[in-house]
Amino acid sequence: MGKFAPPNLTFGAKIRIGLLVFVLILPVLPFVTDYLLHIAILIFLYMILALGLNIVPGFNGLLDLGYVGFYGIGAYTSGLLTYHFGLSYWVIIPLAFINGAIWGILLGVPTLRLTGDYFAIVTFGFSELVVLFLTNEIWLTRGPLGLPGIDVVSIDLTLFGGPKWEFVGELPYYYLAIVMVLVTVFVMYRIQDSRLGRAWFAIRDDEVAAVSCGINLLAYKVIAFAISAAFGAVGGSFFARWMTFLSPDMFKFWESFLILCMIVLGGMGNIWGVMIGAVILVSLSEILREVLPLLGLPLDVRFLAFGIIMVLMMRYRPAGMMPIAAVAAQMRAGRTKRKKAKPVADLKK
Amino acid sequence: MTPILEIKKLYKSFGGLEALKDISFTIDRGEIIGLIGPNGAGKTTLFNCVAGIEKPTGGQLVFTNGGRTISIGGKKPEAVTGLGIARTFQNIRLFDNLTVIDNIKIGRHCRTRSIFFGAVIRSKFQQAEEKAITESANQFLEFVGLKGRGQEIASSMPYGDQRRLEIARALATEPHLLMLDEPAAGMNPQESRDLMDLIRRIRDKGLTVLLIEHDMKVVMGVCERVVVINHGEWLAEGLPQEVQNNPKVIEAYLGTGAADAA
Repeated sequence: MGKFAPPNLTFGAKIRIGLLVFVLILPVLPFVTDYLLHIAILIFLYMILALGLNIVPGFNGLLDLGYVGFYGIGAYTSGLLTYHFGLSYWVIIPLAFINGAIWGILLGVPTLRLTGDYFAIVTFGFSELVVLFLTNEIWLTRGPLGLPGIDVVSIDLTLFGGPKWEFVGELPYYYLAIVMVLVTVFVMYRIQDSRLGRAWFAIRDDEVAAVSCGINLLAYKVIAFAISAAFGAVGGSFFARWMTFLSPDMFKFWESFLILCMIVLGGMGNIWGVMIGAVILVSLSEILREVLPLLGLPLDVRFLAFGIIMVLMMRYRPAGMMPIAAVAAQMRAGRTKRKKAKPVADLKK
Repeated sequence: MTPILEIKKLYKSFGGLEALKDISFTIDRGEIIGLIGPNGAGKTTLFNCVAGIEKPTGGQLVFTNGGRTISIGGKKPEAVTGLGIARTFQNIRLFDNLTVIDNIKIGRHCRTRSIFFGAVIRSKFQQAEEKAITESANQFLEFVGLKGRGQEIASSMPYGDQRRLEIARALATEPHLLMLDEPAAGMNPQESRDLMDLIRRIRDKGLTVLLIEHDMKVVMGVCERVVVINHGEWLAEGLPQEVQNNPKVIEAYLGTGAADAA
């Protein structure tokens, strides 16, 4: 899975290489404006976020409604470290990754003992808490005033006598985002095909059986949550340096929901599906932003549009556009029965 | 020789229901021991207590292996598996949506180590470990007679093969004591014979097998010793023939509980 075999390329590999070439040459195509590049970067950013979130519901079968909390933590980590200490973005990426993971562990250890909906509620509470913190701890975050004037990303080679190249405009961010998406996809494929990934899939399929194979449920769920949070924070760190402005209302619950919609729409647990979900929802959001005022409708109608899409999706393709077998089977069994399908109580005879 | 598992005065109650009352028996190393009793006797509860899925209300479970004696009552299931006790389930619990080979590979989990960084970087250690996992998974697949079927999806296999796969997954954890919960349930006579052969081969590898089974042909055919429990209490113990002719056992099965025993 995901391995390239140069001599005789499969159809899938040809598509992948074609797509990669297309996105690499996209900026030089004549019709591409800065606005389009901006949207493309937004899509890549949401791909990173969606791939990160995918670990928790897609690989582990746990509903996480607080992902935006980690995104916010990453963004402010990046913003504040730049603002106060002027750290280079290349140093900030690993720091944001680690900070995200730390918060993932801090939240995960006490809450991952909870099952299903209870866990989802706690994560939701966490993301609200992050927004409240960012809004009220004015000494640190400047609160609702936001954090303006964050430096742009730069490649500084002055230490070695080289030039200092600042990222101006959308183009450099476009390529930076591509690299970050590629790294994320690479990591996801590697994890998926490893002992760690298998342990997660085991937990998703049957917790009791997983435990009797020697898998420590809590430990592996915490690892999943931490890695997911870390990718969320890396996405946030990019966002901060790209926008050069942060404010707490950028990290409202709505964002969590949007990212969750992407992975549900694309196909939970499927790396390609998740990325396609990001493409569809981000572009749709932008298209609606243009179209709705023309129709004389307020912008918030797009939330309604997303809602309708999700309802239709649940009705006709509940496992997403590119479903994986596990999710499809769970959907067939019915969502409510999902965790009850093989309860521990069944064992007692 | 010390027994591999000593069950001492084991109690387990669910609220007011006493599922296990004062059960004591020992399991000797390298034997195939049957645990029988009418439906609702508490056999699976006993399994769950040993496997760590249920916490015993009272009594002791003493596991001896490699010169180490450990009380396992109340230990977590993953720790019990790590110590060398593996089990299968009465209602098959495979990872339905994963391939056959991945199911067995997950069984190797507790004997391997790599996590995040190993997986991402593919260190030499991780690569070697992954290769070893694949090799041994294939060996276990062959051992239970499912060679060459590693890429099938577990839930798409016939019932009897799923049973075998579950045994292979349990074996992959490298247990010293293997607990099989009604492995012959739903099998036809030919499959049952193959299963008995498999159980003997498992024992010949040096494992101890504890078997819950309703199919008396299997119990009589493969078990060297049988423990009978009824209503959560120890009822009888001995050679299969002795137990079969024990009036108390006959009464438990055919007396007042005749309808249940069918």
